[in-house]
Amino acid sequence: MNWQRVWRSLRAEFGRSPMAKLGVVLILAVFLMAIFAPFLATTNPKAQDLSRANEPPVGFTDTTEDTRLVDGERQTVTVTTRGTLEYPLGTNQLGQDMYSRLLYGARTSLLVGLLGTAIAALAGVSVGIVAGYYGGRVDDGLMRFADVMLAFPALVLAIALIGLLGPQPVDIPDPFVAAGLVSDMPETTVLPVTVTLVVALVNWVWFARVARGEALSVREKNYVKASRSLGASDWRLMLKHVLPNSLTPILVLATVQVAVIILLESALSFLGFSGTTLSWGFDISQGRDLLATSWWISTMPGLAIVVTVIGINLVGDWLRDALDPDIEGESGGGMG
Amino acid sequence: MRLTRFLLRRTAQGILVVWGVITLVFLLRFITPGSTIDFVAPLDASPELRQRLAEDLGLNKPIYVQYADYIVNLLQLDMGNSLLKGRPASDVIFARLPATLELAIAATIVAILFSIPLGVISATRRHQPVDYGATGFSLIGISTPNFWLGIMLILIVGVNLGWLPTSRRIIGFGPALELLVFEGRTIGIQVWFEHILLPSITLGTYFTALITRLTRNGMLEELGQSYVEVTRAKGLPETLVKYKHVLRNTMIPIITVLGLQMGTLIGGAVITESVFNWPGLGTLIIDAINSRDWPLIQGSLIVIGVGFVVINIVVDALYMYFNPQVTFE
Amino acid sequence: MSDDVILRVSDLSTRFFTTDGQINAVESLSLEIEEGEVFGIVGESGSGKSVTARSLIRLIESPGRITSGTIEYRDADLADDLREDHPGAVDGEFVDLLAIPEKIHRGLRGTSFSMIFQDPESSFNPSLTVGEQIAEAVEVQRRASSNPRSTRARTRSSEYSLRSYAAAAVLPSRGYVSSESKDRAIELLQQVGIPDPEQRVDEYPHEYSGGMLQRAMVAQALAGEPDVLVADEPTTALDVTIQAQVLDILRDLQEETGMTILLITHNLGVIARMCDRVGVMYAGEIVERGSLGDIFDRPTHPYTQGLLGSIPDLDAAGGRLQPIGGNVPSLLDAEMGDRCYFADRCPKAMEECLEKPAEYPAEGTDDHAAQCYLADHPYEASQALPEDYFEESEPP
Repeated sequence: MNWQRVWRSLRAEFGRSPMAKLGVVLILAVFLMAIFAPFLATTNPKAQDLSRANEPPVGFTDTTEDTRLVDGERQTVTVTTRGTLEYPLGTNQLGQDMYSRLLYGARTSLLVGLLGTAIAALAGVSVGIVAGYYGGRVDDGLMRFADVMLAFPALVLAIALIGLLGPQPVDIPDPFVAAGLVSDMPETTVLPVTVTLVVALVNWVWFARVARGEALSVREKNYVKASRSLGASDWRLMLKHVLPNSLTPILVLATVQVAVIILLESALSFLGFSGTTLSWGFDISQGRDLLATSWWISTMPGLAIVVTVIGINLVGDWLRDALDPDIEGESGGGMG
Repeated sequence: MRLTRFLLRRTAQGILVVWGVITLVFLLRFITPGSTIDFVAPLDASPELRQRLAEDLGLNKPIYVQYADYIVNLLQLDMGNSLLKGRPASDVIFARLPATLELAIAATIVAILFSIPLGVISATRRHQPVDYGATGFSLIGISTPNFWLGIMLILIVGVNLGWLPTSRRIIGFGPALELLVFEGRTIGIQVWFEHILLPSITLGTYFTALITRLTRNGMLEELGQSYVEVTRAKGLPETLVKYKHVLRNTMIPIITVLGLQMGTLIGGAVITESVFNWPGLGTLIIDAINSRDWPLIQGSLIVIGVGFVVINIVVDALYMYFNPQVTFE
Repeated sequence: MSDDVILRVSDLSTRFFTTDGQINAVESLSLEIEEGEVFGIVGESGSGKSVTARSLIRLIESPGRITSGTIEYRDADLADDLREDHPGAVDGEFVDLLAIPEKIHRGLRGTSFSMIFQDPESSFNPSLTVGEQIAEAVEVQRRASSNPRSTRARTRSSEYSLRSYAAAAVLPSRGYVSSESKDRAIELLQQVGIPDPEQRVDEYPHEYSGGMLQRAMVAQALAGEPDVLVADEPTTALDVTIQAQVLDILRDLQEETGMTILLITHNLGVIARMCDRVGVMYAGEIVERGSLGDIFDRPTHPYTQGLLGSIPDLDAAGGRLQPIGGNVPSLLDAEMGDRCYFADRCPKAMEECLEKPAEYPAEGTDDHAAQCYLADHPYEASQALPEDYFEESEPP
């Protein structure tokens, strides 16, 4: 693998493609949002203020009719609420600030997306390389198992496993709060462990397929055959030759998988399986019953997902166009 | 014949995969924390009642006996009784199946109807406004979570414009068709159509976007092949060059990807059903999981697994039809 | 020249507009091809031969474009047919192929001209049978000639259209290639020496060998009974014995049908075996032309001399060109300048060569001419350019 050449073609494609630039900008923005959420947030995303519930975003007004008792008589009053800068994206039915929740939601999405992809890649690449390198019965067995895994639609399997195992959330302390740099923000970020493991479990197969294909072709290369005949150990050969050669397609696949897993996580949160309430999918589900009155509660987090995933897909397109790996199955697991 | 032999072989493989699915589904119950009997027995049940219930359900037998029983029963299409509804799980599942099938088929039709023409137009008018439009649409389409898209459709088309109903399935396609054929009344089909339109757009958009993208990229790649020039050189009309030769070959990679994406379709159906309160397998499975209704959970998962295997065999057969170089040896 | 000219190309330029700049692949090219002859164009790869071939049947795709010139094709009936609607395109019996609408031109492809391409393996659609692809070409011609609405029906061949294809997809019994065209495909396969044509006709390209595919391509090109066959490196992808067989088939068919062949190759052995007259191409221009004897026995242009000097045995069909010192120019407009393009590689370059040379008649037949100052002037060592002249003056 010639890293210099990879770097050059990445740069050339980046210069050529305005879409690649847009993708990188979007992703950087989402990352910064997620990392510095405690500084950027204006209110604690979990703080409730029922007196300020269902306020529209700034620039919008919301008119509702309310029945009140005035001097012992029932009267219908029209209540107009105007969005304020205090809650730039409005509030939900608990009076929580949608903007701050959006920032913290980015943390959950990226955490699960990156960690889930990393675990899936590690597991899938190991299995794939072993299967492709040894071939024969090992290969047959592992790949038939992969087929069975593929026969379960990812979302259905994930729902089943999480529903049955429970979300098992783990609290990760927020370093900024711990260091005393900010106060009045959540002290921990919740990592939904089951969700992370399950999205990895349902997506490792894609990595296994790609890694296996690469290993199969590398195995037949002369320099690998030569090293083997000189007595190099299998593990050494796999680490030294097979792995580096598989990296380009795996990198492209991993990028796309982050998007897939973020979509999957949001779907699970939407269905109430995630174990954290600071999640875009969860917020969308909260706004679902209030569509007629408070459209923004579902709309805003959805837009955040779309923008994030578009960014990742654009970066994926950039890597694919620049590195041109041959990956079967286009975008991997899809969104379900 | 090539196709028959292939189908036999593929069916045999499919049965193996289904067996694997059944085994995994069976084992799922044993890796789940908490004893099954806790979910079945009333909270104040006496140890004797618990014991009796466990015996009734065969829960105290060794695991391999339970497994063997399970397989034997399955072969007779007996998935056990739903703990929640007290009816055979298979009855519950097959009552819900048509709703899911209708939704999946409608979404597939929506996707194919729009995506392939869009992809072809996009590829043949490269760098023109229609191409940018189609490329933008497909990027947004593959990046939008479908449950959110469904909610936005409900918000705009259902709530704000009031054009279409936003949930439930009043009538199935079968009864609606009967109404039309035997009584000549179109109201059934109309109601059916109004209810399925938004869910099928919700489920179909991702696939429309994905296939548009694949068609466009595939056509562009295929148009660069030498045989296209040869075909033009022999005087074939351009429409035939594009549709008979190029599009046909573009179908090969599209079908491959579609085969790999069928799980997405089924998973997407689950969540779409949940958004639109669509009474299909998806909502059933979520209810079953929330109430630990094991026979129902296992049965639905197996039906979905079988459906997936069948779809994949169909996809492979299509693939073979389009690509004569494949021998599946 | 004589009345037998069937194709008259004048001042043809084809350019490609790429992100790296404008590429002049064919530069003011003129030539005349006589009916029934085999005309060869020879040159190194990158000299613009293939683009010339594609220009002749108007198969230049974006970013390429034919920017100037005329390609006149002699066909009295066609000329009569078009005289009224496209007076600008008709000159006597000649029709300017670049001035007629694409739709009419398409009707001529396959029936008036057809083309054999370089790489047989990639020249067939892998997912249709070879027979069907040949039958398509037969069908194009059959439907054209059976159309009674026009005396020159072959300009209206679009009847074999998407509609009939769609109809056939719905009704499998109504094949879009008829049984007649399939029979004809079998006949054609037999003609080019494919064994078991009845069985082979239903096989797919991947079931054929390279040599058989190239024969099948010859069959496909002949399906429309063309007047002019353009063969672009028809044997390059084949091994030596197969090359000879394919060339023999081409030669036999040419003698049988009297068609005109424009043969494009980098292989002088092929030229020697096949051609009546030859044009030597360099950097998008024909630098020397003449009869086979003129070129081989009395080469005048130093480039031609270099080419000939570089093959050991003319009779060896596989004799490939040894590159002459230096490289073929990039054809980038910005780097071309206004001089003899060969001067930087020419062992006899003189100061005069820094200007564009005219075409001078050369010794031999009337046709023999070379675009070289030396064809008309003696070499004078005193005016020779220093050897490193171009290394210094040209940008790196």
